[in-house]
Amino acid sequence: MREPRSAESVVVTTSVRLVAPFVVTFGLFIMFHGASSIGGGFQGGVVVASAVVTIAFGFGIDQTARWLDRARLTAAATLGVLAFAVAGLGPVLFGGTFLEFPVYPGPTGALYAVEVVEVGIGVTVAATIVVLFVEIAGGFGAEAGHGGDTGADPAGEEIE
Amino acid sequence: MTLGGLTAALVAFLVVVALVVALLRDVLAATVVFAAYSLGMAILWVTLQAPDVALTEAAVGAGVTTSLFLVAIIETGRPAGAATFVGDVDVTSIAATLAVVGVLAATVPALPAVGDPGSAPFLRVVPHYLEQAVPLLGVQNVVTAILAGFRAFDTFGEVVVVFAAGVAVLVVFGREVP
Repeated sequence: MREPRSAESVVVTTSVRLVAPFVVTFGLFIMFHGASSIGGGFQGGVVVASAVVTIAFGFGIDQTARWLDRARLTAAATLGVLAFAVAGLGPVLFGGTFLEFPVYPGPTGALYAVEVVEVGIGVTVAATIVVLFVEIAGGFGAEAGHGGDTGADPAGEEIE
Repeated sequence: MTLGGLTAALVAFLVVVALVVALLRDVLAATVVFAAYSLGMAILWVTLQAPDVALTEAAVGAGVTTSLFLVAIIETGRPAGAATFVGDVDVTSIAATLAVVGVLAATVPALPAVGDPGSAPFLRVVPHYLEQAVPLLGVQNVVTAILAGFRAFDTFGEVVVVFAAGVAVLVVFGREVP
């Protein structure tokens, strides 16, 4: 069993505990308000993912990796792309072309389509970055774990 | 094109920090300095009135990229060396770098001034985006209107690229969800 790679510092864990909810809120704000203020789905998704990364560094990467459901993360990344595609195909029903948002009916139809696109981007980006972080931190299964200051034993088994 | 004092100071800071990143021997120290480079870039984008790009640079460059480098270092280890900086830098690589920088710098005077209303993009494309963002899409932030509306096809491709990166990592590490 590998040593838990956590900060083991009250200052770090307390700071993470205090800051993380605000970072997630800020990320969601950027994601949902991309149409009316700076930012958008990409930036919001990255900020939300960085909150997860912060928690991982504060409370241990392996514990965080175990707490995250790999299947749900992959599903979220897929759903974000699908939401973008569906919002893009919608105008075809109204006689437009792919991604021709202005043909959506109503004064705010196009705005809602853009919002769906932004949230789709955000979900995909956030899920993908978390997957990238967790997978790279997990290493190459049996071959990994020889590096770093704490690496005692391979980490392959706690993934999946 | 004149640079403000803050912009000039930031550019000088970025050049120095980039050189330090290139010359540092320890990968962990280079990663931390590289994060400082991204932070300087983000501030530079703010001074150039591009807050959307600044937000991206701060979150991706200083935040996520640094953390990905850190976990990569944890997994691979960092070779310890006695010297802080790389001692013997290849003269040919310095000459090649200076040559590339010289060629690129020679093209700078041909660029239009920042915000020049007579430059090509400001004649047709930008006025169209600025005028049509609210009537066509109802989106106040023109950057978002361009990315998610007028140029949504490009953005769709970019999201698919991000998705493909996640899938590629899962496949490379052999942990695709059954």
